[in-house]
Amino acid sequence: MLVLMQATLWAIAGLSALPFVLGGERFMFALGLASLLLALFTCLLAIGLLWRRRWARRWGIRFEITCVTASLLLLAVPIGANRGPVSLMVNILLPLAVVGLLRGKRMRAAFAR
Amino acid sequence: MFNVSASHAVGLVAGLVALPVALIVLRFYPRWRLAPFTVRAATVLMAVTGAVHLALIAHHLRTQPVTSILFLGNGIAFLSLAAAFSWRWWRLASAAMLISTVLGYLFYVGVGLEGPDQVGLATKLVEVTALGLVLVPVRGEPGRPHRSWRWASLGVAMPLLIVMTGATVWIVDLARPDARHVHAGALLQATNAFPTQQQWDAANSLYRETKAAILKYQDWHEAWAAGYRPGGSTTLPSTHWMNQDFVKAGYVMDPHRPQGLVYGNSRHGPVLLGAMFQMQHINQFGPDPGGPLTAWHQHENICFTPLGFEFSFLTPFATCPFGAIDLSVPPMLHVWIVDNPKGGPFAVDIDPSVVAAVDRG
Repeated sequence: MLVLMQATLWAIAGLSALPFVLGGERFMFALGLASLLLALFTCLLAIGLLWRRRWARRWGIRFEITCVTASLLLLAVPIGANRGPVSLMVNILLPLAVVGLLRGKRMRAAFAR
Repeated sequence: MFNVSASHAVGLVAGLVALPVALIVLRFYPRWRLAPFTVRAATVLMAVTGAVHLALIAHHLRTQPVTSILFLGNGIAFLSLAAAFSWRWWRLASAAMLISTVLGYLFYVGVGLEGPDQVGLATKLVEVTALGLVLVPVRGEPGRPHRSWRWASLGVAMPLLIVMTGATVWIVDLARPDARHVHAGALLQATNAFPTQQQWDAANSLYRETKAAILKYQDWHEAWAAGYRPGGSTTLPSTHWMNQDFVKAGYVMDPHRPQGLVYGNSRHGPVLLGAMFQMQHINQFGPDPGGPLTAWHQHENICFTPLGFEFSFLTPFATCPFGAIDLSVPPMLHVWIVDNPKGGPFAVDIDPSVVAAVDRG
């Protein structure tokens, strides 16, 4: 459920880049497309987790750790990145919650296939 | 949209306080340990959103009594549902309550009864998450759990509510920016409301001096020789050319050493449109001799990509497209040396029709 939510947020981020393509920003098309593909991957990940697939758990943990590490780096660097409650919830808490739910021996056993 | 409204800050505090309180209090319920994890998580989240709604009553009581009554109803309903997690119709009632609350917020924001802010958005995220948890089927549920229907509604309702919330909030924010946000992402320096004669004179003086100093850069080769380089794509209508030596030196509003020049990208080559002064650090607004006439602006919440030096805007959910990073740019002040009828010589943006006319010319 949380991963599906994340997939929706990636899809919104991808779609948000597309209007800028009309303004002449050609690379934004690539970025928007990459975000939509990432949303698709995240959606597949959610289905894999639902079906208790081992690859989904493994990739899910890796993916979320990457997301949270990148977000923490952005927050640590003084470039004026958004530090509002929504940003913290979406970019830090959400991936951390997914990692927290997927880790542990019980979960490893549940995702044996 | 990216600010915490002063009147809503108390809601944020209440939500944060309610989280540990709910976790402790709900443990004393006899059936708490028997409840599935998703039910327990949804219960806690509903207690949090209930507390947020109750905390907002006091501020709205005088100006919006109807809203206060709705907040009271919401708060009591969410807290009651949090306490009644073992009730037979709990899932149905909770889902209905959560969906109607999110839609109610969107209606309020849409018709302008409420401004979108971080507390509102964060609360909606909590509610959508709670909705997802309420709908998730659990193994061994008693009665007829309607698993396939619930999975289907989860797959549709949750993404739909997220997209609707994001789209509504974003459209409203763009259509009705607050007084200090002249366009998306640009925060204006706080100044007096109306310029004094002294400020008019100072602004005119700054304009004259800057125009005289940068006229030599009408030939872009001169700008190149002075160290200015295009700071982005030259296929866009206009490009900022930056002088990194002047940026690093930190000259403050020096007409002879502006940190940037703005060129229109015409079919005949770059056409000088104006200069740009920039401060070195974020939130460090520069001197403002012309008061509201020469207010600096800071671009916030930009999704920047080094690929082609392009940008887009941060979504209401604080996400950027993959490959772009969220940043803010130190305050800047433009001086347009071409006629800019819509905004004047110090406007945040140049009128696109002016750039188009330059291109045609």
